[in-house]
Amino acid sequence: MKLYVKAYSSYIGDIKEFDVKKELKQKYKLDTRRQDTFIHLAVYGAQKLRENTDINLDDELYVTSGLGNIDVLQKTNNYVGKEGNFIKPFDFINMLGNTTSYYVASSLGLKGKNTFQISDNFTYINTLISVFASLNISKKDAVLGSIDLATQPDEIIKRVLGVDKETKVTSSVNYQKLSLNEDGALAYMEFDSKSYSLDEINEILKTTSLDVISSMRCRKLDTNKYDEYFETIPAYALSKAIESNSDLLYIDCYDSKYKLLKLINI
Amino acid sequence: MHSINILDYSIKSSQGDIKETLDAIKNAKVKVSSKEVPTLDSKITIPYFLFQDEVKADQNSVLSAIRDVVTPILDKLSKEEKEKTAIIIGTALVDMNIVDSIEDSAYEEQRKPYYSNKRSIDTYAKDLSKEFGLNDFTMTINTACTSSINAVLEARNLINSGVFDNAIVVGVEIFSQMMSSGFSSMKLLSSDFQRPFDISRDGLVLGEAVAAVLVGRGESLWSVKGGYSNCNSLNITSVSPDGGEYADVMKRAMEFSNVDVKNITALKAHATSTPTNDLSEINAINKVFDTNTKFTAIKPYIGHTLGACGVLEMAIFMSCIDDGFIPATISHSESIIKEYVPIQEHTKCESGVFMLNYFGFGGNNTSVIIQKELA
Repeated sequence: MKLYVKAYSSYIGDIKEFDVKKELKQKYKLDTRRQDTFIHLAVYGAQKLRENTDINLDDELYVTSGLGNIDVLQKTNNYVGKEGNFIKPFDFINMLGNTTSYYVASSLGLKGKNTFQISDNFTYINTLISVFASLNISKKDAVLGSIDLATQPDEIIKRVLGVDKETKVTSSVNYQKLSLNEDGALAYMEFDSKSYSLDEINEILKTTSLDVISSMRCRKLDTNKYDEYFETIPAYALSKAIESNSDLLYIDCYDSKYKLLKLINI
Repeated sequence: MHSINILDYSIKSSQGDIKETLDAIKNAKVKVSSKEVPTLDSKITIPYFLFQDEVKADQNSVLSAIRDVVTPILDKLSKEEKEKTAIIIGTALVDMNIVDSIEDSAYEEQRKPYYSNKRSIDTYAKDLSKEFGLNDFTMTINTACTSSINAVLEARNLINSGVFDNAIVVGVEIFSQMMSSGFSSMKLLSSDFQRPFDISRDGLVLGEAVAAVLVGRGESLWSVKGGYSNCNSLNITSVSPDGGEYADVMKRAMEFSNVDVKNITALKAHATSTPTNDLSEINAINKVFDTNTKFTAIKPYIGHTLGACGVLEMAIFMSCIDDGFIPATISHSESIIKEYVPIQEHTKCESGVFMLNYFGFGGNNTSVIIQKELA
C-alpha cells in the first residue's frame, strides 16, 4: 500500500510551556470555548497543516490517538464517578471521541467523512491502512491527525501505554495530508498489513540503506529510538524525515510482532 | 459497485439474543428496566433497556459479553478464514481501561502497585483477535451514535481494497453512569417511553447492547450495497430543523450505492424520539421520499444503544425481514407531518432494498443501503 504525503505539520513538547489555547485565539482567531486541552491540541495541529496546504471541503478527516482524550475522562471520573456530581453537558460531549474530530473539521471547514479511531497495537499504521482503503474507494484526499496528550499524573498514561515508569512521555500533534495521487507530493509512504517476526526484521535491517528508527517498544532492536514516548510517534518520525529530506524505515512492535513503515522523499 | 455481503449476525439486547428479540418485536412484549442517575439537584430514576443478566462496567465483564456474541459467528470460520478476518468495534463506551488506570494511580488512597500493559478502548478487539486467531488488524471507532455503522463502512473499504477477505464488526454499549448523566444533563431522556416521530415525543430511552455482523466476500442473500458518512451539522449536537444535512447524506448514500429512490423498499429511521432529531429526520424523509414510503423505528423495542445501534439495528432489521416482515413502529399515535406516518402494523416483506439511517453528536451522519435478494 502506498500513500503520498502532500503536506504535514508537527508539534511536540510540554504543552505547559506553550499556550496552545492562546495561540488558537490570537493567531488563528478561533473560538476555544467549551473545548479542553486535548481538543485545543488537535485543532492547533490542524491549523498548522492548513498553513502548508489547501484543504478541500470533502477531504476525508481521520483523527487517531494512542489513548484519546484522557484529560476529560480523568476530570469527569473524579467529578462524577468519585464525588457523585452531575456531569456538565460539555464535559459529557467532550468525552466522545468524535467531538475532537468535529472541532478539527469545523476549524478546517471540512464537511466530508470524519472519523475518530484507535488501534491498541499499531495505532498509526492501522489508521494508514484504513485511510488507504477508504481513498481507494472514494478517490478523495485525506487529512490525518495523530494526537497524544500527556496529562498529570503521567503514571496513568504510562500504565495504559505499557511503558516503564521511568519513560518520559510527552504531548504531540502531527498532521499529514494524504493522497493516492503523486502530484505535488513531498514524499510517499509504503506499508502493509503484514506482521514480521524478529528474525525477519533483522534480515531486513541487514539490507536496508534507509535511516532506521524504531519504537521504544522494540526493546530487542538495537536501532535509533526517540528519548520521549507517545503512541503516535511514527507520525512525528515521518514529519522529521520529510523535514530533513532523509528516507526512513520506521519499525513498530507489539506482542513480538513487528510492522514496517517506509518513507521516501520525492 | 462496491458492495460486500453480510454473512452472519448475532446480538445480545435487552430483550435477549436474536431469537428472543425477534419474539419480543413480533409480540410487542418489550421488557424495560430502570436506573438511577444523578441530576443537578438530586437523583432520578429513568427507564433503561438493560440486559436481563447484568454486565458490570469493568473490562473483563465487557470482554466476556462481547465474546459471547462473536463466538457463534467466529466458530464457523476455518483457521485460514480467521487469519484473513479483521475485527472492528464501534462504540461510544467510556474507556474502562483508562478509568481503571486512573483508579490505580490518581487517588492516593487507592494507589496500586505500578504495572504497565498497553490498554485502550481497542483492547477488547485486540484480545479477541488473539483469542480467535484473527488478523492482527484491529480498530475501534468512536463517532458517537454512528460508531458501529461507520465501522461497517470501514470494513467494506478494507474488503473492497483487497486488504482482508472478511471483517467482524461489533457494536458495544453498556450502562454508564457518566453517559446516562450526560444525556440527562442535556434533557434528552424520556420519563417513560419513546414515541418516534410523534407530536408528543419527549426523548429517548437508553439501552445496552452487543451486536456483531460478519461481512465479506462469501455468498449471502444479504449485502451492503453502499453508504455515505459525513460530518455536517448546525452545531455539535444537532442539524438544521429542516433536515437538509440528513437529506443530503441519504441522497448521497443512494448515489454511491447506484440505487434510485424508487427502488428503496423501506427505510429504518434513526428515530431517537427527541424533539429536535425527529423533527429534522422527518423533514429529511419528506425531502427524499414520497408519502407512500414505508419507514419504521427499531428503538422503541431495544432503546437507543448509542455506538452499538448501527450494527444492532441492522441485525434486528435483517432478522425481521428474514422472518418475513418489516417491524411496526410502536408507541406512535400522531405524526409530526401527517402525510408521513411510520408503519403501524408489521408489514409483510421478504426481500428488497433498504435504507438504514444513523445520526450522532459531533455532526456525524451516516446512511447505508442494504439489500436482501430472494432465495
